[in-house]
Amino acid sequence: MNLFRSEEHIERWLGGREPGATVSVGMLSELAHAWWSDRLPPEWQPRARELNQAILDRLGLTGPFWQLA
Amino acid sequence: MDDLDLRIRAATYRLFVELGRAPTAIEVAGSGDLSEADVVSGWLRLHEQHALVLNPATAEIRMANPFSAVPTAYRVRADDRWWYANCAWDAFGICAALHVDGRIETSCHDCGEALTVEVRDECPDDESLLFHCLVPAARWWDDIVFT
Repeated sequence: MNLFRSEEHIERWLGGREPGATVSVGMLSELAHAWWSDRLPPEWQPRARELNQAILDRLGLTGPFWQLA
Repeated sequence: MDDLDLRIRAATYRLFVELGRAPTAIEVAGSGDLSEADVVSGWLRLHEQHALVLNPATAEIRMANPFSAVPTAYRVRADDRWWYANCAWDAFGICAALHVDGRIETSCHDCGEALTVEVRDECPDDESLLFHCLVPAARWWDDIVFT
């Protein structure tokens, strides 16, 4: 889960391996804020897989790659 | 996850933010009228439930996601402190968890060129950068340190 300067840099780093998923850093920030913003309050409760999946779905991160276990 | 484990988890995260580093089991125990053994047992259960990640060799905190207990390639300046994140996602996650703006310092994972991203009002200042996730979501927890 890393940052790259461009698609060209990702392709070079992959070196022919099967790629995963690439998203813009703006989308990543949106995802991170949706995912982590509830982490510190003492009343935190674990989130069900379905709720985590709903966060991904809402951001358009759909398809087999983004299906949680 | 029972009340005791939720309590241990909450104390662990609270101390992580207060101290700016991972707390020891003794520190967590002292904050909540628990024994060190209670805390380590709770951490092991929380680890199994993916609520935090322990160092397998020592049963010390390795990750209290999004925070990393060890230095990584993702350094985050937020809330007047430097933090380490486990990955790019978690770097933004530290700003999110603390509900503050921040600055992420890292490098391109391919060429090593230094990258700095300012996060203001939940948005990065450089939209040209890309995030690549190699491991499919269903396998993230097979080896969370690699993911």
